[in-house]
Amino acid sequence: MFQPLPESPAQAGTAPGRLRLLMLLGPALAIILLFFGGGIFLGILQALGYRPGAGGGSLSLSHFAAVFTDPDFSTSLLMTLYIATVSTLAAALCSLPLALLLTRLAATSSWINVILQIPLTVPHLVIGICISLLLSPAGLVSRLLSWSGLIAGPAAFPLLVNDTWSVGILLSYIWKEIPFITFMLVAILKNSGQELEEAAQTLGASPWQRFRHVTLPLLAPNLRGACLIVFAFSFGAFELPFLLGKTFPMVLPVWAYRNYSDVDLMARPEGIAIGLIIAAVVICAILLSQGLTRMTSRQGTAR
Amino acid sequence: MDPAHSRKPLSPLPILLLLFLLFLPHQARAVELDQTSWEETIQAADGQTLDWYMWGGSPAINAYVNGFVAHRLKERYNITLRQVPVKDIAEVVSKLLVERQAGKSSDGSVDLMWINGENFRTCKNKGLLFGPFAQRLPNQHYVDWSRPSVYNDFGTPVEGMESPWGSAQVIMIYDTARTPVPPKSMAELITWIREHPGRFTYPAPPDFTGSVFLRQLFYHQGGGASTWQGDYSQQELSSAARATYALLKELKPALWRQGSTYPNSPVRMNTLFADGEIDFSFSYHQAEASRNILDGLFPPTVRSFVFAEGTIANTHFVAIPFNARDKAAAMVAADFLLSAEAQLEKAKAGVWGDFPAIDTTRLPRAQQQQFAELERGPATLSNRELQAHQLPEPPSRVLIYLEKGWQEQVLRER
Repeated sequence: MFQPLPESPAQAGTAPGRLRLLMLLGPALAIILLFFGGGIFLGILQALGYRPGAGGGSLSLSHFAAVFTDPDFSTSLLMTLYIATVSTLAAALCSLPLALLLTRLAATSSWINVILQIPLTVPHLVIGICISLLLSPAGLVSRLLSWSGLIAGPAAFPLLVNDTWSVGILLSYIWKEIPFITFMLVAILKNSGQELEEAAQTLGASPWQRFRHVTLPLLAPNLRGACLIVFAFSFGAFELPFLLGKTFPMVLPVWAYRNYSDVDLMARPEGIAIGLIIAAVVICAILLSQGLTRMTSRQGTAR
Repeated sequence: MDPAHSRKPLSPLPILLLLFLLFLPHQARAVELDQTSWEETIQAADGQTLDWYMWGGSPAINAYVNGFVAHRLKERYNITLRQVPVKDIAEVVSKLLVERQAGKSSDGSVDLMWINGENFRTCKNKGLLFGPFAQRLPNQHYVDWSRPSVYNDFGTPVEGMESPWGSAQVIMIYDTARTPVPPKSMAELITWIREHPGRFTYPAPPDFTGSVFLRQLFYHQGGGASTWQGDYSQQELSSAARATYALLKELKPALWRQGSTYPNSPVRMNTLFADGEIDFSFSYHQAEASRNILDGLFPPTVRSFVFAEGTIANTHFVAIPFNARDKAAAMVAADFLLSAEAQLEKAKAGVWGDFPAIDTTRLPRAQQQQFAELERGPATLSNRELQAHQLPEPPSRVLIYLEKGWQEQVLRER
């Protein structure tokens, strides 16, 4: 997914090859550079204090400084990292066996496929509201449990929404992202066929060895890519933490929104600064993952 | 941070270029609607589509706007009304500000917005509004412009930059089946909260409803509403605000979930109330309780009350952004909203139950009679009872000060 393009001498090395590559990538790159790059550029300007509508203002890093020195910044950052990391890892851990199982069953059971496609089509907002209807203290699950006598009353139901550990947010993300990662893995498993695994089997590899040395390396690039997408999304997403999170501490996207929509216009540049910090963290995560990939692949060839 | 140092890496050339590009279209077009007669305005509005951005959290208000108002605007003026519901009109103010910065001085997507208080102040100060236009509406003859809450919107002079639509008052909502004897004043409510831990909460300011509760409490702690209308010193403000935060902090352990979190909207608070998690709700709409009973959201035993010392009341308005595409349609709609017919429909308990923005004594006798005979919902107090217990809003400066302070002192406990 996020691998650098293979530098095969026949294609990329020669001048016409490069030109072709540029022409193929050109339209997409131009749009990304114009809208994404332009947006980021204007964002940086405003975060630096540039305000064309309100009499200019000098450029300085004071808004970034205000965010970084805010006593709540580290709490917010950690909380956002916690939600994004835990939900990504949990979804990946569930997806791996599910993808293996699904490849085995694919021929016989299409209904699992249908069930798995449901979360893909449901917007985050909808699952957020569903989770709050189901899992809040006066929600459906709590009422069913207390009605059937399994818990003493709604008050005995654990806090899963607007709670300290963000259980509701994590559950929604995991539910939503499992099918996404699973399908990314299934695509690889289906195309790779059984030959590699069978070859390993004839060489006397145990099921664990086959998984560890054949299947997992095969899946690694896609798994890493899918995880990165999920991490980047849940790190920067606003709606689920806004619906299901505590009023305070708030995750970075909710904090950015609060600042941006503040009646006090002086709070806006800080909101934009937080947005840029979110983007920076995600970019760091991508670079880190790229670096790790390169390191492991180098080790692999050295061995 | 050394500003001179941090400015270095940015060359001024691209910024100047950008500035030039941003301000280029500004002088493009002057406002043409100022000079036209009302007939011409109606003609210009024919066939226009009116995008009305408004808080969309009340099904009753949405139904009134999309039903009654939309149908009549279509029938009489051939105006297509498109309601755009938002969670907070401040979002639209932000959007307009960006458009102002980007030099988008015409063809904006917002034609009309439902607004008051600090958002109006921001819009007026930043030049985000079209107008003055209110004086040009024929139906404004029914408006009593001498009323303090009409010529001043949270301390900001209206000056024709917005047109009144209705007026509202805070009510407390309770269930007689659960709370046979509700507290009669803020002081009694505070005692009640202490005695019933976990059964009260309020939406987190800057939510509109949560914010008004904060002001209500601020009046209680700060020597009453009258203290904050005229002259007050910064010192008085900060000491009264401190007393308010101190009380709220002290009450935290007695709130729903020990004050560790708050509902993010009045809609959520109403759900908690209906689900029996808390025993009180409150609203800035005097007919909210009746309305929710009729909608089946609240049990029929729910009633409302106002504090003996009074509750905060205000006027709400509609305004037209500086760059609205369909200004004529917006003016025609603002005028229709002020008509006796539209105001009467809006005042019906089964529709919305909002107070009229017009002075009904200026209407013909037959129409006055219709207003007098309006049926009230089962949980709505009488006009006399409500009007005898109205407190004015403080200036929006106080409001912003309190909302900020709440975030820092009560929510984050710095």
